Amino acid sequence: MSADLAQLWGRSPVLLDGGMVTALIARGFTGGGSPELWNVERPDDVLAVHAGYLEAGSVVIQTNTFGGNGLALLGHGLASEMEALNHAAACIARRAIEQHGQGGRLVAGNLGPSGSFLPPVGDADPGELTEAFSAQAAALAAGGVDYLAIETMTDVEEALCALHGARRATDLPVTVCLTFEKGPRGFFTMMGNPLEDTARTLADAGADAVGANCSIGSETLLEACPLLVAASPVPVVVKPNAGLPELEDGQPLYRQAPRDFARDMAAMARLGARAVGGCCGTDEHFIAALASELAADAGRSE
Amino acid sequence: MDARDLPHEQRQAILAGDTERAVELAREALATGADILACVDDGFVAGIREVGRLWAEGEYFLPELVQGAEAMKAAMAVLRPELRKSEPERERRTRVVLGTVQGDIHDIGKSLVGTVLEANGFDVVDLGSDVPGEVFVDQVAQDGARILGLSALLTTTMSGQGRVIELLKERGLRDDVFVLVGGAPVTHRFAAEIGADGYAANAMAALDEARRVLGEER
Repeated sequence: MSADLAQLWGRSPVLLDGGMVTALIARGFTGGGSPELWNVERPDDVLAVHAGYLEAGSVVIQTNTFGGNGLALLGHGLASEMEALNHAAACIARRAIEQHGQGGRLVAGNLGPSGSFLPPVGDADPGELTEAFSAQAAALAAGGVDYLAIETMTDVEEALCALHGARRATDLPVTVCLTFEKGPRGFFTMMGNPLEDTARTLADAGADAVGANCSIGSETLLEACPLLVAASPVPVVVKPNAGLPELEDGQPLYRQAPRDFARDMAAMARLGARAVGGCCGTDEHFIAALASELAADAGRSE
Repeated sequence: MDARDLPHEQRQAILAGDTERAVELAREALATGADILACVDDGFVAGIREVGRLWAEGEYFLPELVQGAEAMKAAMAVLRPELRKSEPERERRTRVVLGTVQGDIHDIGKSLVGTVLEANGFDVVDLGSDVPGEVFVDQVAQDGARILGLSALLTTTMSGQGRVIELLKERGLRDDVFVLVGGAPVTHRFAAEIGADGYAANAMAALDEARRVLGEER
């Protein structure tokens, strides 16, 4: 059994952070390379992103390791650097909290998709996937993260590999978010996993919290939130994108206004979401707006 | 087996993503001297169209799509030699070059387009995914292809379609080939903006577009 996530998170709802790659792009990162490389090549920029979120009010900052799985790094020729990149990411986040100086802040070690697909879509081996996630989790734990956040999973089977892998490596709490799309029949992952079923499956498999991140905006996730809260026996995490991107000059632009995001996220908190944050397209302004909304709500309920 | 049942069973095999069964039924079609074109149109292609419809309706997801495509590919591999035999003038078959643009590894939709075009008389060269612009252009030049189909599934890679069109212009090949584009983020408007000759949202629409640009009647 793992340490008490609720104790770590403190008062509900806990404010997570916003997009990392979005922030790196603003600092000059161009698509195609590995964002994780910045953990060793441009650590000050990564630190600055964390500092921005802490300043805006994030209680949890997430490591720059979305693509840090060994299998995902293979595509960039960086598989041999997996440990170093993940360890460095955790250390940078810890340093950001130290420098920020305020108590009670947490580092979540991010584990994103491996980039490999299980059959029938691909030919990945579940054992190999589990091992890769385990190794990444170990590196993040060694770097000092407070808990692990598995995210952006499109296949509940891969999510389970990640969860098992994480549990094999550490005793730290583990949260698991999948990415859902809204179709004619409701919310499903790209692989066809239904929202409520996956929440239960992951909770039964030992996830300390489950939820949804990426792919959809806050307006759409707001529809899914009550379904998640009703279905999940464990706390719920919600981290939508800043709306759907529009393409301008070949670059995706997110046009949602921070205040609209904040309004939706605060509504999700009132509906029972335990942890709220943002994904692609969100930045410190989004988190700051959300922090204000949550503070106002807290003030009102006193 | 009664040949009239074959297309129905073939359609079902694709719907079920049952590759073994699809291959079995394709072989049966050959062995019993069944109408191969009917098997293709009313059987396998009808099956993959149904898969596409169920996908659009949120009933089928990626795994079902992949399994249907695999079964389709396997069945077509069995029938291809027979299909080619029944078209004596091989040189008359219109050459189509297909691929997913550079930086993009999505290929299911694009492969389905290839399968449907091939089943309907086109000679398809599928370059796969993550294809550099120059490779597309070289293949078009080498084959004298009349149609170039470009697929992009990401908002961040669809600009690659425009770049290939520019490359064709640079190489003086633009007027020799019809460029059709597709993929989830691609639209008619985007196609027009980049100077493509046509746009298709799915494999069946791609067949219609291919015939349209070549001036054929359906």
